[in-house]
Amino acid sequence: MLDAFSRTVVAADAKGAAIGSEDLSDLRKYVADANKRIDATLAITQNVSCIAADAVAGIVCENTGLTQPGGHCYPTRRMAACLRDGEIILRYVSYALLAGDPSVLQDRCLNGLKETYLALGVPTSNAIRAVEIMKIATVAIMTETNTGRKMFKGINSGSGAQCQDIAAEAASYFDLVIEALS
Amino acid sequence: MKSAVTTVVSAADAAGRFPSMSDFESVKGSFDRAKARLEAAEKLASCLDKFTNLAVDAVYQNGSYEQANKDKCVRDIHHYLRLINYCLVTGGTGPLDEWGISGMREIIRIQLLPTAAYIEAFIFIRDEIKINDVMSQQAETEFKGLLDYLINALA
Repeated sequence: MLDAFSRTVVAADAKGAAIGSEDLSDLRKYVADANKRIDATLAITQNVSCIAADAVAGIVCENTGLTQPGGHCYPTRRMAACLRDGEIILRYVSYALLAGDPSVLQDRCLNGLKETYLALGVPTSNAIRAVEIMKIATVAIMTETNTGRKMFKGINSGSGAQCQDIAAEAASYFDLVIEALS
Repeated sequence: MKSAVTTVVSAADAAGRFPSMSDFESVKGSFDRAKARLEAAEKLASCLDKFTNLAVDAVYQNGSYEQANKDKCVRDIHHYLRLINYCLVTGGTGPLDEWGISGMREIIRIQLLPTAAYIEAFIFIRDEIKINDVMSQQAETEFKGLLDYLINALA
Protein backbone atom coordinates (compact mmCIF):
# COMPACT_ATOMS: atom_id res chain seq x y z
CA MET A 1 0.00 0.00 0.00
CA LEU A 2 1.27 3.45 -0.90
CA ASP A 3 0.41 7.00 0.04
CA ALA A 4 1.27 10.28 -1.67
CA PHE A 5 4.72 10.27 -0.04
CA SER A 6 5.69 6.68 -0.72
CA ARG A 7 4.36 6.93 -4.29
CA THR A 8 6.92 9.69 -4.92
CA VAL A 9 9.60 7.54 -3.30
CA VAL A 10 8.84 4.50 -5.44
CA ALA A 11 8.90 6.65 -8.59
CA ALA A 12 12.22 8.23 -7.58
CA ASP A 13 13.75 4.86 -6.72
CA ALA A 14 12.89 3.53 -10.16
CA LYS A 15 15.07 6.31 -11.54
CA GLY A 16 17.68 5.89 -8.81
CA ALA A 17 17.49 9.59 -8.08
CA ALA A 18 17.09 11.47 -4.83
CA ILE A 19 13.91 13.49 -4.35
CA GLY A 20 14.67 17.14 -4.98
CA SER A 21 12.82 20.43 -5.04
CA GLU A 22 10.66 19.88 -8.11
CA ASP A 23 9.23 16.58 -6.86
CA LEU A 24 8.53 18.02 -3.44
CA SER A 25 6.14 20.76 -4.54
CA ASP A 26 3.20 18.35 -4.92
CA LEU A 27 3.91 16.88 -1.50
CA ARG A 28 4.09 20.32 0.06
CA LYS A 29 0.63 20.98 -1.37
CA TYR A 30 -0.59 17.68 0.09
CA VAL A 31 0.75 18.69 3.51
CA ALA A 32 -0.68 22.21 3.22
CA ASP A 33 -4.09 20.76 2.34
CA ALA A 34 -4.03 18.28 5.22
CA ASN A 35 -6.89 19.93 7.10
CA LYS A 36 -9.10 20.00 4.02
CA ARG A 37 -8.26 16.39 3.29
CA ILE A 38 -9.19 15.31 6.81
CA ASP A 39 -12.44 17.30 6.57
CA ALA A 40 -13.27 15.69 3.24
CA THR A 41 -12.65 12.25 4.71
CA LEU A 42 -14.85 13.15 7.68
CA ALA A 43 -17.59 14.07 5.19
CA ILE A 44 -17.57 10.42 4.12
CA THR A 45 -17.12 8.75 7.51
CA GLN A 46 -19.91 10.77 9.13
CA ASN A 47 -22.41 9.91 6.41
CA VAL A 48 -21.61 6.35 5.42
CA SER A 49 -24.97 4.72 6.04
CA CYS A 50 -26.79 7.69 4.57
CA ILE A 51 -24.76 7.66 1.34
CA ALA A 52 -24.96 3.87 0.92
CA ALA A 53 -28.69 3.75 1.73
CA ASP A 54 -29.40 6.60 -0.70
CA ALA A 55 -27.54 4.84 -3.46
CA VAL A 56 -29.35 1.53 -2.97
CA ALA A 57 -32.71 3.27 -2.62
CA GLY A 58 -31.81 5.09 -5.85
CA ILE A 59 -31.20 1.98 -7.92
CA VAL A 60 -34.37 0.39 -6.53
CA CYS A 61 -36.49 3.44 -7.38
CA GLU A 62 -35.04 3.60 -10.87
CA ASN A 63 -35.64 -0.09 -11.39
CA THR A 64 -38.54 -1.29 -9.22
CA GLY A 65 -38.22 -4.84 -10.50
CA LEU A 66 -35.16 -5.26 -8.28
CA THR A 67 -37.19 -5.71 -5.09
CA GLN A 68 -39.89 -7.88 -6.69
CA PRO A 69 -39.63 -11.67 -6.34
CA GLY A 70 -36.93 -12.74 -8.82
CA GLY A 71 -35.26 -9.33 -8.68
CA HIS A 72 -31.65 -8.97 -7.62
CA CYS A 73 -32.46 -7.12 -4.39
CA TYR A 74 -35.05 -9.74 -3.33
CA PRO A 75 -35.22 -11.00 -0.59
CA THR A 76 -33.97 -8.55 2.04
CA ARG A 77 -30.82 -10.61 2.58
CA ARG A 78 -29.62 -9.62 -0.88
CA MET A 79 -30.62 -6.00 -0.37
CA ALA A 80 -28.59 -6.04 2.87
CA ALA A 81 -25.58 -7.43 0.98
CA CYS A 82 -25.94 -4.52 -1.41
CA LEU A 83 -25.89 -1.98 1.43
CA ARG A 84 -22.91 -3.72 2.99
CA ASP A 85 -20.93 -3.55 -0.25
CA GLY A 86 -21.75 0.13 -0.63
CA GLU A 87 -20.27 0.79 2.80
CA ILE A 88 -17.18 -1.30 2.01
CA ILE A 89 -16.54 0.69 -1.15
CA LEU A 90 -16.96 3.93 0.79
CA ARG A 91 -14.52 2.68 3.39
CA TYR A 92 -11.82 2.04 0.81
CA VAL A 93 -12.51 5.36 -0.89
CA SER A 94 -12.05 7.07 2.48
CA TYR A 95 -8.71 5.28 2.96
CA ALA A 96 -7.55 6.29 -0.52
CA LEU A 97 -8.63 9.88 0.07
CA LEU A 98 -6.74 10.07 3.35
CA ALA A 99 -3.63 8.53 1.82
CA GLY A 100 -3.90 10.67 -1.31
CA ASP A 101 -3.27 7.58 -3.43
CA PRO A 102 -5.61 4.97 -4.95
CA SER A 103 -3.36 1.93 -4.37
CA VAL A 104 -5.18 0.75 -1.24
CA LEU A 105 -8.51 0.90 -3.09
CA GLN A 106 -7.08 -0.90 -6.11
CA ASP A 107 -5.23 -3.63 -4.21
CA ARG A 108 -7.67 -4.41 -1.45
CA CYS A 109 -11.11 -3.66 -2.91
CA LEU A 110 -11.22 -3.49 -6.70
CA ASN A 111 -8.81 -6.28 -7.54
CA GLY A 112 -11.11 -9.16 -8.53
CA LEU A 113 -14.30 -7.35 -7.55
CA LYS A 114 -15.87 -7.62 -11.00
CA GLU A 115 -15.05 -11.34 -11.23
CA THR A 116 -16.60 -11.88 -7.79
CA TYR A 117 -19.77 -10.06 -8.81
CA LEU A 118 -20.03 -12.02 -12.04
CA ALA A 119 -19.56 -15.29 -10.16
CA LEU A 120 -22.21 -14.33 -7.60
CA GLY A 121 -24.63 -13.16 -10.29
CA VAL A 122 -24.67 -9.54 -9.13
CA PRO A 123 -25.69 -7.32 -12.07
CA THR A 124 -22.72 -4.96 -12.55
CA SER A 125 -24.83 -2.36 -14.36
CA ASN A 126 -26.87 -1.81 -11.18
CA ALA A 127 -23.73 -1.84 -9.04
CA ILE A 128 -22.18 0.81 -11.28
CA ARG A 129 -25.30 2.97 -11.01
CA ALA A 130 -25.16 2.70 -7.20
CA VAL A 131 -21.51 3.80 -7.22
CA GLU A 132 -22.44 6.74 -9.46
CA ILE A 133 -25.07 7.84 -6.97
CA MET A 134 -22.60 7.46 -4.11
CA LYS A 135 -20.13 9.61 -6.02
CA ILE A 136 -22.65 12.38 -6.58
CA ALA A 137 -23.84 12.27 -2.96
CA THR A 138 -20.32 12.24 -1.54
CA VAL A 139 -19.17 15.18 -3.64
CA ALA A 140 -22.30 17.16 -2.73
CA ILE A 141 -21.84 16.52 0.99
CA MET A 142 -18.11 17.24 0.84
CA THR A 143 -18.50 20.57 -0.95
CA GLU A 144 -21.66 21.40 1.03
CA THR A 145 -23.63 21.82 -2.18
CA ASN A 146 -26.30 19.35 -1.04
CA THR A 147 -29.77 20.74 -0.50
CA GLY A 148 -30.84 21.11 3.10
CA ARG A 149 -28.65 21.06 6.15
CA LYS A 150 -24.86 20.85 6.36
CA MET A 151 -24.11 17.16 6.60
CA PHE A 152 -20.72 17.02 8.25
CA LYS A 153 -18.72 18.63 10.96
CA GLY A 154 -15.09 19.11 10.00
CA ILE A 155 -12.17 20.29 12.08
CA ASN A 156 -12.26 23.56 10.12
CA SER A 157 -15.75 24.98 10.30
CA GLY A 158 -17.31 26.07 7.02
CA SER A 159 -14.67 24.45 4.89
CA GLY A 160 -16.98 22.81 2.36
CA ALA A 161 -16.26 25.27 -0.43
CA GLN A 162 -12.54 24.82 0.13
CA CYS A 163 -12.84 21.06 -0.38
CA GLN A 164 -13.46 21.42 -4.15
CA ASP A 165 -10.10 20.01 -5.22
CA ILE A 166 -10.21 17.16 -2.75
CA ALA A 167 -13.81 16.39 -3.77
CA ALA A 168 -12.62 16.11 -7.38
CA GLU A 169 -9.99 13.67 -6.18
CA ALA A 170 -12.63 11.66 -4.31
CA ALA A 171 -14.75 11.61 -7.48
CA SER A 172 -11.77 10.18 -9.37
CA TYR A 173 -11.61 7.30 -6.86
CA PHE A 174 -15.30 6.53 -7.45
CA ASP A 175 -14.53 6.62 -11.17
CA LEU A 176 -11.90 3.96 -10.58
CA VAL A 177 -14.55 1.77 -8.97
CA ILE A 178 -16.86 2.29 -11.93
CA GLU A 179 -14.03 1.54 -14.32
CA ALA A 180 -13.18 -1.66 -12.44
CA LEU A 181 -16.79 -2.87 -12.68
CA SER A 182 -17.33 -1.92 -16.34
CA MET B 1 5.62 0.95 2.13
CA LYS B 2 5.37 2.01 5.75
CA SER B 3 4.61 5.63 6.47
CA ALA B 4 2.49 7.49 8.98
CA VAL B 5 -0.61 7.34 6.80
CA THR B 6 -0.32 3.76 5.55
CA THR B 7 0.23 2.49 9.11
CA VAL B 8 -3.02 4.11 10.20
CA VAL B 9 -4.91 2.86 7.14
CA SER B 10 -3.60 -0.71 7.53
CA ALA B 11 -4.69 -0.80 11.16
CA ALA B 12 -8.14 0.56 10.30
CA ASP B 13 -8.51 -1.92 7.46
CA ALA B 14 -7.47 -4.87 9.63
CA ALA B 15 -10.28 -3.94 12.01
CA GLY B 16 -12.70 -3.21 9.15
CA ARG B 17 -13.51 0.24 10.45
CA PHE B 18 -13.51 3.71 8.99
CA PRO B 19 -10.64 6.05 9.92
CA SER B 20 -11.43 7.37 13.40
CA MET B 21 -10.76 10.70 15.06
CA SER B 22 -7.60 9.35 16.69
CA ASP B 23 -6.41 8.15 13.27
CA PHE B 24 -6.89 11.65 11.89
CA GLU B 25 -4.97 13.08 14.82
CA SER B 26 -2.05 10.76 14.26
CA VAL B 27 -2.00 11.62 10.54
CA LYS B 28 -2.22 15.30 11.42
CA GLY B 29 0.69 14.91 13.83
CA SER B 30 2.88 13.52 11.08
CA PHE B 31 1.89 16.39 8.78
CA ASP B 32 2.89 18.90 11.43
CA ARG B 33 6.41 17.49 11.33
CA ALA B 34 6.36 17.18 7.55
CA LYS B 35 7.62 20.70 6.88
CA ALA B 36 10.96 20.04 8.59
CA ARG B 37 11.20 16.60 7.00
CA LEU B 38 10.61 17.86 3.47
CA GLU B 39 13.09 20.68 3.98
CA ALA B 40 15.70 18.18 5.17
CA ALA B 41 14.97 15.96 2.16
CA GLU B 42 15.31 18.86 -0.26
CA LYS B 43 18.57 20.12 1.20
CA LEU B 44 19.99 16.63 1.48
CA ALA B 45 19.18 15.98 -2.19
CA SER B 46 21.16 19.05 -3.18
CA CYS B 47 24.14 18.11 -0.98
CA LEU B 48 24.13 14.37 -1.59
CA ASP B 49 27.31 14.28 -3.66
CA LYS B 50 29.07 16.77 -1.45
CA PHE B 51 28.33 14.89 1.78
CA THR B 52 29.31 11.57 0.23
CA ASN B 53 32.64 12.81 -1.06
CA LEU B 54 33.55 14.69 2.13
CA ALA B 55 32.80 11.64 4.26
CA VAL B 56 34.53 9.04 2.09
CA ASP B 57 37.60 11.24 1.60
CA ALA B 58 37.88 11.73 5.34
CA VAL B 59 37.53 8.00 6.05
CA TYR B 60 39.97 6.82 3.39
CA GLN B 61 42.50 9.58 4.07
CA ASN B 62 44.09 7.96 7.10
CA GLY B 63 44.98 4.79 5.20
CA SER B 64 43.35 2.28 7.51
CA TYR B 65 41.20 0.94 4.67
CA GLU B 66 42.13 -0.43 1.27
CA GLN B 67 41.97 2.30 -1.34
CA ALA B 68 40.60 -0.23 -3.84
CA ASN B 69 37.29 -0.23 -1.98
CA LYS B 70 36.88 3.51 -2.06
CA ASP B 71 34.73 3.64 -5.21
CA LYS B 72 32.38 1.01 -3.88
CA CYS B 73 32.16 2.88 -0.62
CA VAL B 74 31.28 6.09 -2.45
CA ARG B 75 28.57 4.24 -4.37
CA ASP B 76 27.08 2.71 -1.23
CA ILE B 77 27.21 5.83 0.94
CA HIS B 78 25.51 7.69 -1.88
CA HIS B 79 22.89 4.93 -2.03
CA TYR B 80 22.22 5.06 1.72
CA LEU B 81 21.95 8.83 1.74
CA ARG B 82 19.42 8.55 -1.06
CA LEU B 83 17.41 6.09 1.04
CA ILE B 84 17.59 8.52 3.96
CA ASN B 85 16.25 11.16 1.58
CA TYR B 86 13.32 8.79 0.85
CA CYS B 87 12.76 8.16 4.56
CA LEU B 88 12.61 11.89 5.16
CA VAL B 89 9.92 12.12 2.49
CA THR B 90 7.79 9.21 3.75
CA GLY B 91 8.20 10.13 7.40
CA GLY B 92 9.02 6.56 8.37
CA THR B 93 11.95 4.18 8.13
CA GLY B 94 10.23 2.08 5.44
CA PRO B 95 12.64 2.74 2.52
CA LEU B 96 15.76 2.11 4.64
CA ASP B 97 14.27 -1.03 6.18
CA GLU B 98 13.00 -2.51 2.94
CA TRP B 99 15.72 -1.48 0.50
CA GLY B 100 18.74 -0.78 2.66
CA ILE B 101 18.88 -2.77 5.84
CA SER B 102 17.28 -6.13 5.16
CA GLY B 103 19.95 -8.36 3.64
CA MET B 104 22.55 -5.63 3.91
CA ARG B 105 24.97 -7.41 6.23
CA GLU B 106 25.09 -10.42 3.91
CA ILE B 107 25.76 -8.28 0.85
CA ILE B 108 28.49 -6.23 2.49
CA ARG B 109 30.14 -9.35 3.88
CA ILE B 110 30.11 -11.20 0.58
CA GLN B 111 31.78 -8.25 -1.13
CA LEU B 112 34.46 -8.24 1.59
CA LEU B 113 33.84 -4.59 2.31
CA PRO B 114 34.63 -3.22 5.77
CA THR B 115 31.39 -2.23 7.55
CA ALA B 116 33.48 -0.08 9.88
CA ALA B 117 34.31 2.27 7.01
CA TYR B 118 30.61 2.82 6.38
CA ILE B 119 29.92 3.49 10.03
CA GLU B 120 32.84 5.93 10.22
CA ALA B 121 31.57 7.73 7.13
CA PHE B 122 28.08 8.17 8.56
CA ILE B 123 29.44 9.25 11.93
CA PHE B 124 31.57 11.78 10.06
CA ILE B 125 28.48 13.14 8.31
CA ARG B 126 26.61 13.28 11.59
CA ASP B 127 29.31 14.87 13.72
CA GLU B 128 31.80 16.67 11.51
CA ILE B 129 29.93 18.20 8.61
CA LYS B 130 28.28 21.50 9.46
CA ILE B 131 24.78 20.45 8.47
CA ASN B 132 23.48 23.57 10.15
CA ASP B 133 24.85 25.65 7.31
CA VAL B 134 22.52 24.06 4.79
CA MET B 135 19.37 23.27 6.76
CA SER B 136 17.41 24.50 9.76
CA GLN B 137 17.70 23.09 13.26
CA GLN B 138 14.50 21.01 13.03
CA ALA B 139 15.41 19.63 9.62
CA GLU B 140 18.84 18.70 10.96
CA THR B 141 17.25 16.84 13.88
CA GLU B 142 15.13 14.79 11.48
CA PHE B 143 18.15 14.01 9.30
CA LYS B 144 20.40 13.06 12.23
CA GLY B 145 17.73 10.83 13.72
CA LEU B 146 17.76 8.75 10.55
CA LEU B 147 21.57 8.73 10.42
CA ASP B 148 21.57 7.35 13.96
CA TYR B 149 19.06 4.72 12.96
CA LEU B 150 21.23 3.61 10.07
CA ILE B 151 24.45 3.61 12.14
CA ASN B 152 22.78 1.41 14.74
CA ALA B 153 21.57 -0.97 12.06
CA LEU B 154 25.07 -1.23 10.57
CA ALA B 155 26.86 -1.64 13.89
